[in-house]
Amino acid sequence: MRRTATSLLPGLIAASLVVVSAPAWPQDITREDIVRQLSRFESAPTLDLPALKQQTQERSKIRSRTEPPPQKRAPIAPELMTLPAFNVDIQFDQDTPIVRPESYQAVGRIADAMVYSDLLPYTFLIVGHVEANGNRESNVILSQRRADAIRDILANTFKISVKRLQSVGLGEEQLLDPSKPTAPVNQQIQIITVAKAAEEAAAPPPAPAPAAPGKQAPRKHRN
Amino acid sequence: MVRGYILLLVAVALGVPSLAMAQTMSFGDSAGLIASSCGADITANCRGVNLDSNRLKECLSRNQDVVSAQCKATYFKAFEAIQKRIAARVTVANACQREIVKLCGGSTKETSRSIPCLLTANGVSARCQQAVGEAGYR
Repeated sequence: MRRTATSLLPGLIAASLVVVSAPAWPQDITREDIVRQLSRFESAPTLDLPALKQQTQERSKIRSRTEPPPQKRAPIAPELMTLPAFNVDIQFDQDTPIVRPESYQAVGRIADAMVYSDLLPYTFLIVGHVEANGNRESNVILSQRRADAIRDILANTFKISVKRLQSVGLGEEQLLDPSKPTAPVNQQIQIITVAKAAEEAAAPPPAPAPAAPGKQAPRKHRN
Repeated sequence: MVRGYILLLVAVALGVPSLAMAQTMSFGDSAGLIASSCGADITANCRGVNLDSNRLKECLSRNQDVVSAQCKATYFKAFEAIQKRIAARVTVANACQREIVKLCGGSTKETSRSIPCLLTANGVSARCQQAVGEAGYR
């Protein structure tokens, strides 16, 4: 192999470029990983999203001298921390909710997991986080826009029912790793299982199905 | 020189999931295919456009003249693969009508509720089995 290095040189250069650029490529996630994390659901928390959004916004506006540094702030939504969550490193264009192509596959895998049988009964909260850099208030807004963007892609591009998707941005008010407030680990998107459709998974009587993934065919059914 | 490129191209081609299969492709694979064949084109020409089937497809076709050959050859099929996978969920209601109603006591208006049952019930037709698989429920 090595002796033919001259003839293979261009290929080798290209291959080494791929290797070098690999760390920038987000982790390869599988549908199975996501399903495993998100199906560990036990009981639904009482969530008041409008209140949480307002609280987050208000806290991010505090300009007091006695305000603790990012790593010492209490999480704004501790009730979310005990729920089944899948944390994923989605790459966005800087300061925008635009997902970079290198993260398309990851978003697609999330959609695959949501369609998978085991997760059909559940509804999810998409949580945006931004690391503790720059303006605290803008970080809340940016994280909300990013969470909304993921929700929109799942709903519009992959037709996951909007009834199963909610989104909230917590800015830097709930650091995923408080020991490193400015690290990329704090810029992840979290998918959290927040509710299960009425407990009739075994015997399904006719009732509204929040998990209905799409519209029925306009065609007539055969008998 | 040329041989190296050919080897590389073959390696790339093998890594790309086949579009010719009758089975549908997962959303992750389709989206990954858009990224791997059009990522640079999207970054260069479609900044500010998110992974939205309509808008991204529209942007890429509007930029036909400058978009790479690899992207042009792929993106339409990749978006189509996503649509196929979505359409497959509707197909389940038709292909599994008997199973949903008779075996699972469900309704074809709420197909997703009957999916766990369709996966475990005995006597599910091959056509229904295939539809369930193509929709990505399994």
